[in-house]
Amino acid sequence: MGYLLKTDWWKWLCVALLSYTVIGGLFLPVPELPILNETIRVLHFHVPMWFGMILLFLGSVIHAIKYLRTGDNKSDIYSVQLANMGIAFGLLGIMTGMIWANYTWGEPWSNDPKQNASAISLLIYLAYFVLRSSIQDQQQRNRISAVFNIFAFFLMIPLLFILPRMSDSLHPGNGGNPGFNAYDLDSNLRKVFYFAVIGWTLLGYWMTTIAIRLSLVKQKLEDA
Amino acid sequence: MNLPLHPVNSVLQLIKKDLIVDWRQQNPITGILLYLASTIFATYMAFKGFVSIEVWNALFWIILLFTSINAISKSFIQEERRSHYYFFLCKPTEIILAKLIYSFTYLFCIALISLVIYSVLLGNPIINYGLFILNMILGCIGLSAAFTMVSSIAFRSSNRSIMMAVLGFPVIIPVLILSISNSFKILDSYILVQIQGNLTALLSVDVIIIALTFVLFPFTWKS
Repeated sequence: MGYLLKTDWWKWLCVALLSYTVIGGLFLPVPELPILNETIRVLHFHVPMWFGMILLFLGSVIHAIKYLRTGDNKSDIYSVQLANMGIAFGLLGIMTGMIWANYTWGEPWSNDPKQNASAISLLIYLAYFVLRSSIQDQQQRNRISAVFNIFAFFLMIPLLFILPRMSDSLHPGNGGNPGFNAYDLDSNLRKVFYFAVIGWTLLGYWMTTIAIRLSLVKQKLEDA
Repeated sequence: MNLPLHPVNSVLQLIKKDLIVDWRQQNPITGILLYLASTIFATYMAFKGFVSIEVWNALFWIILLFTSINAISKSFIQEERRSHYYFFLCKPTEIILAKLIYSFTYLFCIALISLVIYSVLLGNPIINYGLFILNMILGCIGLSAAFTMVSSIAFRSSNRSIMMAVLGFPVIIPVLILSISNSFKILDSYILVQIQGNLTALLSVDVIIIALTFVLFPFTWKS
């Protein structure tokens, strides 16, 4: 993490990947499917938000564990800012999903287990920030919120990955629906999708590093 | 004096202490029982006449959810003045083990009482009591363990009662979804073989909660 803060090759990679995603995602050929039609292009903008969210929350939890082991304030700042960006990605994921669902499933919210699970995981992390603001003492705040972060993250995993498979879902790959592979017979989507996931995640990470540096500077000013 | 106790012994002592505290100051228990009775009576007034099995089942678990969050939130909040004393006397793992056992027993008794009152007022569609109670036990383990952990987190914050609900409800949803759907299937006369998988899923969520509680509790206790 410290190394990536100082180098910038991955920022150029991120710009290149995202330019490719926007241009390729909008202009390259896509499979012609009923109902979905051209809306399938939103795949490159909707699904990577979830990948990004999970990875950012994962980073946040790793730094929470690090904080509990070392008590280093830096880990706490990393953890908070990663969670912050995770929430932003989650909100974007929900909004792009609702717009897509409105045109393909007929309504923005159709009680789909994945939609519910994503809403709940956002509630969990919003609660994390409410918890932080309700504890006065700084050290105690960092420790208790790290504990809640870890507790909530590991309970979110059954919610996101196991429960949707146990009930019917409109999402591909669940409840008897064919998975993503069945829709993408000629691999046209894959040519953009994987790069889009990497690109969007890097962008989220890039924004997080800026927020991290900002709060590190703020802390230094407070201490001085 | 101050001899280190054997772990089993000190867990038993801590459970006994909780029992004595609850026995001496009876207002929390009577308060919870009255809370339960009035909630059930209010639902009876609101829902009588159109209670199908789905509604019966969902209402039962929702009542149990609200009662348990109120009953278990006290488990650490009442310890405020005593916590320094234990800090030197027992290990955190012993304290949390005692709390988990006590709050499960407490919640299970409340659940049984609420089942009795509830079925008197709103009717009783249960056919397979053994399976229904088994699912209720698994649900109570999850509810009591998760709320005990959340209570130890909320205990450190200002406005505790709000934090209990804000932190507790999103976390408890896997347990709640699984136990509601299992218990509906049991009422719909499924047999053990058909819902084995779902019961195992609920059990594994319980195990995850308990394991996390054991790992994380020492950190909330230290502060």
